[in-house]
Amino acid sequence: MSGSGKGRGRAAFTFNIEAIGFAKGETLPEVAFKPPPLFPPTDFKPVPLKMGEEEDYMLALKQEFRASMKKMPYFMQKEDENQGIEKYSKKYLQMRKESMEWTPAGGKTKKGKVATPKSNVDVLKKIEELEKKGDEEKSDEEKEKEKDKEGEEEEEEAGNEQEEYDEEEHEEENDYIASYFEDGDDFGAGSDDNMDEATY
Amino acid sequence: MTQAEIKLCSLLLQEHFGEIVEKIGTHLIKTGSQPLRVIANDTGMSLDQVKKALCVLIQHNLVTYQLQKRGFVEYEASCSRVLRILRYPRYIYTAKTLYSDMGELIVEELLLNGKMTMSAVVRKVANRLTETMEDGKTMDYGEVSNTFVRLADTHFIQRCPMAPETTETSDAPPPPVPTLAVNEKDMYVVPNLNLIGKGKRRRSFDDEDDGEHKAKRQKQDADSKEPPPDDGIYWQANIDRFHQHFRDQAIVSAVANRMDQTSSEIVRTMLRMSEITTSSNAPYTQPLSSNEIFRSLPAGYNIVKQILDQYLTLLADDPLEFVGKSGDSGGGMYVINLHKALATLATATQESIVQERFGSRCARIFRLLLRKKHLEQKQVEDFAMIPAKEAKDMLYKMLSENFVSLQEIPKTPDHAPSRTFYLYTVNTLSSARMLLHWCYKSVANLIERRQYETKENKRLLEKSQRVEAILASMQATGAEEVQLQEIEEMITAPERQQLENLKRNVNKIDASENQVDETIFVLESYIESTVKKL
Repeated sequence: MSGSGKGRGRAAFTFNIEAIGFAKGETLPEVAFKPPPLFPPTDFKPVPLKMGEEEDYMLALKQEFRASMKKMPYFMQKEDENQGIEKYSKKYLQMRKESMEWTPAGGKTKKGKVATPKSNVDVLKKIEELEKKGDEEKSDEEKEKEKDKEGEEEEEEAGNEQEEYDEEEHEEENDYIASYFEDGDDFGAGSDDNMDEATY
Repeated sequence: MTQAEIKLCSLLLQEHFGEIVEKIGTHLIKTGSQPLRVIANDTGMSLDQVKKALCVLIQHNLVTYQLQKRGFVEYEASCSRVLRILRYPRYIYTAKTLYSDMGELIVEELLLNGKMTMSAVVRKVANRLTETMEDGKTMDYGEVSNTFVRLADTHFIQRCPMAPETTETSDAPPPPVPTLAVNEKDMYVVPNLNLIGKGKRRRSFDDEDDGEHKAKRQKQDADSKEPPPDDGIYWQANIDRFHQHFRDQAIVSAVANRMDQTSSEIVRTMLRMSEITTSSNAPYTQPLSSNEIFRSLPAGYNIVKQILDQYLTLLADDPLEFVGKSGDSGGGMYVINLHKALATLATATQESIVQERFGSRCARIFRLLLRKKHLEQKQVEDFAMIPAKEAKDMLYKMLSENFVSLQEIPKTPDHAPSRTFYLYTVNTLSSARMLLHWCYKSVANLIERRQYETKENKRLLEKSQRVEAILASMQATGAEEVQLQEIEEMITAPERQQLENLKRNVNKIDASENQVDETIFVLESYIESTVKKL
């Protein structure tokens, strides 16, 4: 009836253990209490890499390709935060980076667009308009991007001029000449608030 | 997309395009197609940055866009296309073997830039080749154009889909996105350009007097630039054709290994004849008659017709079944069984993996199971002639690593374990998928390790680069031997040793990545061939 198996309290399997190859009563292999090691020892070492002219050439190609990609304007790097000491060479590297800056074709700055629909239009309509404009902009970009590879240099020059103009626009409204401070914009922006409070 | 694939894609994007593009690309791969604002919202980046990154990705054929029914545009990234970046060196090398340096540079420029017009490619390649030539010689545009045309004729490069011509008198507002389409017939048609010119050498120190003059002239050129005659016709590298070529190479070398050089030449001829007639995922090539094959054999091979027939019969009777006989007209119609060949190659890869991982006895059991399909434990021991205990041990090891699986056949409806047959079997398709997943993981690990090694020694690398720059500039201005010696000694001997080690390790890791990609190609082609295309 109940309590079958070899004896009370003894572990019994539901199948015949001889079927998987352990003799009756033999010690079973130990149970694992922890996950397998991260780098288990292997009995067989891996086969050595293929060597040869072909492989060497492809290796060189790969490394050159990677290096060229890093120099292309497609490579977008995150702006590094200011490392403690500013290097002298940074100024010259910055100039080179700026010459590679590009904006998607047809992209106008948002400033003009935000200013216009300030009037008394419904909020919903305004949102729709902006969305449509945003999509149109994108479509303009797509079309122009397709024809645009040749005019890349022109774009860069235009982009540069626009950037310079923007900088001048950001001039603080005070009598101090922006170029007075040698450190440039960063310093000026920080001390601007204090200045405003001081002038009467 | 498995986790391993996503990780590998993000590493590749980061190495080649930078972190911003990587973030957006990975997000798109993980979440499928999304509109612009959702991407900007989810990744937390500004709209401008997202737009720029999407432009880069679309330019390189990694992202496509589609107008949805509701009227907004969704962007979708293609994970498999991103993984192809691993294979770029192989594509460039293949172009070099087929079309020498010019072909190599053309394909390299196309891969670097994604899409380019023919005139831009020709100009850039001519300039690059001129740099490497001796002083005074320049590369003519005509030669480069010829190579370009040859590449297009053999379908290694193709036209990108173009925006339709906009008619002036259309009343409807322009659609939010242009629908790009390419005519099948025009895909390889080269525009009729009259490219005359020579490559320009980038002058550095020599003519400083002309420097100003040249700068002025260049500026004039930039201003008075009219659109080139082939504006709007962009070309890209045809990845599928390269894959077809690799597959053919693999089949030919397999036949060469199994039989001899002549039979591999015959197979190569057959494949070459079916290059354009057979689509890339057909199960077998179009039937070719023995007479045709005889006529198309390369000039160097003068074997008699009877010998050719004998070879073909041998190939058709081979148990590997690469070549099959489909009829008797024309001296015998023969086809190459492409899907079978891919399956055989994938299986051979798996056998080799089992052998290298578990030993030759395990490999024997594996091959036995492949042959006999389903075997019981006892039968395995008998057929493989391996003692029972060891056979059990090996089978369980392979089972735990999922190379081998169990098939249960119950004798009674209650599936009692003591009254069930357990048969061991090998499922090649699922093992292939598992191994492919392993490969992706390995490459991701290799890339991470390489980045770690480079990061560890960043300071030393920067120092050595600076020293090299100083050396180069001093040599150019004519410094003395003693001074050069002093500068070289800025890097101490142990540092030099460290640099050597670093270089060796990085090279090894890079070479391993290339070779894992070869396995990835074989497994991917096999899996793709089993997927039924609608």
